[in-house]
Amino acid sequence: MDYSVIQIVFIFLITFLVAIDQFSFLESLYQPIVTGAAIGLVLGDLQTGLVVGGTYQLMTIGNMPIGGAQPPNAVIGGIMASVLAISANLEPSLTVVTAIPFALIGQYVITLIFTLMSPVMAIADKCAKRGDDKGIQWINYLAMAALGFVFATIVTLFFLGGVTFGETIANAIPDWLMRGLKAAGGMMRYVGFAILLKAMVSRDMWGFYFLGVALAVIVMASQSLKGSALLLLAFVAFALAYWDFQIQTKFKKIDESMKNKS
Amino acid sequence: MEHNIPEEYKNTTPAKALDNKMLNKMVWRSLFLQASFNYERMQAAGWLYAILPGLKKIHKDNKEDLAASMSHNLEFFSTHPFFVTFVMGIVLSLEQNKADIPIIRAVRVSLMGSLGGIGEAIFWFTLVPITAGIASNMAIEGNIAAPFLFLILFNIVQFTIRFSLMHWSYKLGTDAIKVMTSHVKELTHSARIFGIFIVGALTCVYGATTLDIQVPSGGNYVLQPVTTVISSEELVEYEGLLFASDEKGNRTEKLQDGASVTLLDNGKYEITFIKREWKNISIDIQEILDGILPSMIPLAFTLALFYLLSKRNFTPLKCIGVLLLIGIIGSVFGIWPAA
Repeated sequence: MDYSVIQIVFIFLITFLVAIDQFSFLESLYQPIVTGAAIGLVLGDLQTGLVVGGTYQLMTIGNMPIGGAQPPNAVIGGIMASVLAISANLEPSLTVVTAIPFALIGQYVITLIFTLMSPVMAIADKCAKRGDDKGIQWINYLAMAALGFVFATIVTLFFLGGVTFGETIANAIPDWLMRGLKAAGGMMRYVGFAILLKAMVSRDMWGFYFLGVALAVIVMASQSLKGSALLLLAFVAFALAYWDFQIQTKFKKIDESMKNKS
Repeated sequence: MEHNIPEEYKNTTPAKALDNKMLNKMVWRSLFLQASFNYERMQAAGWLYAILPGLKKIHKDNKEDLAASMSHNLEFFSTHPFFVTFVMGIVLSLEQNKADIPIIRAVRVSLMGSLGGIGEAIFWFTLVPITAGIASNMAIEGNIAAPFLFLILFNIVQFTIRFSLMHWSYKLGTDAIKVMTSHVKELTHSARIFGIFIVGALTCVYGATTLDIQVPSGGNYVLQPVTTVISSEELVEYEGLLFASDEKGNRTEKLQDGASVTLLDNGKYEITFIKREWKNISIDIQEILDGILPSMIPLAFTLALFYLLSKRNFTPLKCIGVLLLIGIIGSVFGIWPAA
């Protein structure tokens, strides 16, 4: 199927915008249910776009980025599913599955980008030392632009190259490597946890960490509680913290009144 | 972050209060919290970008103070995007009062840690599935209103929360500044307990790493009934399986347990006999680990990374490199489950 230059430009622009939106701005434009309709509009088949978008959305409804770890990318996956459905005339439920390799590629791309962005923080530190606010602003703007550009380029290439090109790329990654990358991706969050621990913990507080783990294991063992686990645990955490606060302030009062007496 | 950040500001006179216009401006900026997300400091640069207008106003009389404030606000930061305005309000009120920098840092860190996991539970696992779920079903039926409905619902909630939390927490912080600064040690102590407990909970709830290692350990004979249709000529071959033998080893007319012979209308026989099959048994390592302590692997990794970060001075980037190596080497040995 031939597409006009204008359509290709729109695909590029839409992808650019939603690639940024998946982390900043509204964090809702990037959802497949929106991109499906948008792509459908651009490629001249709004109905298919709506259906594919909705189908893909339901498939990924639980996949949100947690603690910095990326799920299979809904931007590339959602957009490619719509593109495939309309340009290759595939059935919506079929395209949703075909889009999975693209989503996995997107996942790795983001993980790579976030890793590569780390050295930029050293530049940010220098700006802070100088009190340079414009520098900080530009770091953020350029980072967003880079993310948008990379995604838009990838999707446009896939779009132009067609289904077979994308599948060749996706299939070029051997299964064993994919498993390893997926495992590594899932482990990134432990770095985040460890960093938080390092910032907050001290020798006398380790007990609370293991208490959190133990209670979470108990709560998660019950299928019906899996969804509300963190909320329940937050109640427990709050109870402990509030009690601690009250005890601490009581001690302080006693301490001060004893000092005043002597 | 290597640059020496002072313990207190040079100018300790509390600055003028920030007006609503300034607060609202920063709420808009908070949308870009994750603009420069990276694994080293996560949302830090976006966080600084968001509160920068406020900081500039607060420290406008002292460039060194602004530099110090910017530097410590570039430290590792990670929280839920919808809750960030709450942290912003509190931190801004502390900055405005020129509180000691270690105090601002402690409050910021404990707030961000505590709100991060809870926010994910409330929004990512509730708001998105509910609004997206409703809209998806409409979209599949071809209803053009679906994406708009989703966007409107989602963003009404998002912006209500962002704006209200910013104003509420700033007021809370300003009103509570006396209480906060006089009890800040106790407050930070309690907040740390809260945060540490939550990180422990997160380790289990979001600990998704499992192994797929099967260790062969011998096998067993398994009795399996087999039913098949045979011709009368073939019946002879199956006699050993169908008929029992007596003490002398001769074939008898008695059928074995579980065996049956039925003559069908077409002249063929339907027979059932018990087949002894060798079945391999393997031990699932993950099951064993879970039997000792569920979430053992996430816990072990988190503790090991903590050790590397704090005692061996690894940078987060280096930790990520190590994890990538582990992932790839592990997959060479085939220990990970399917992608």
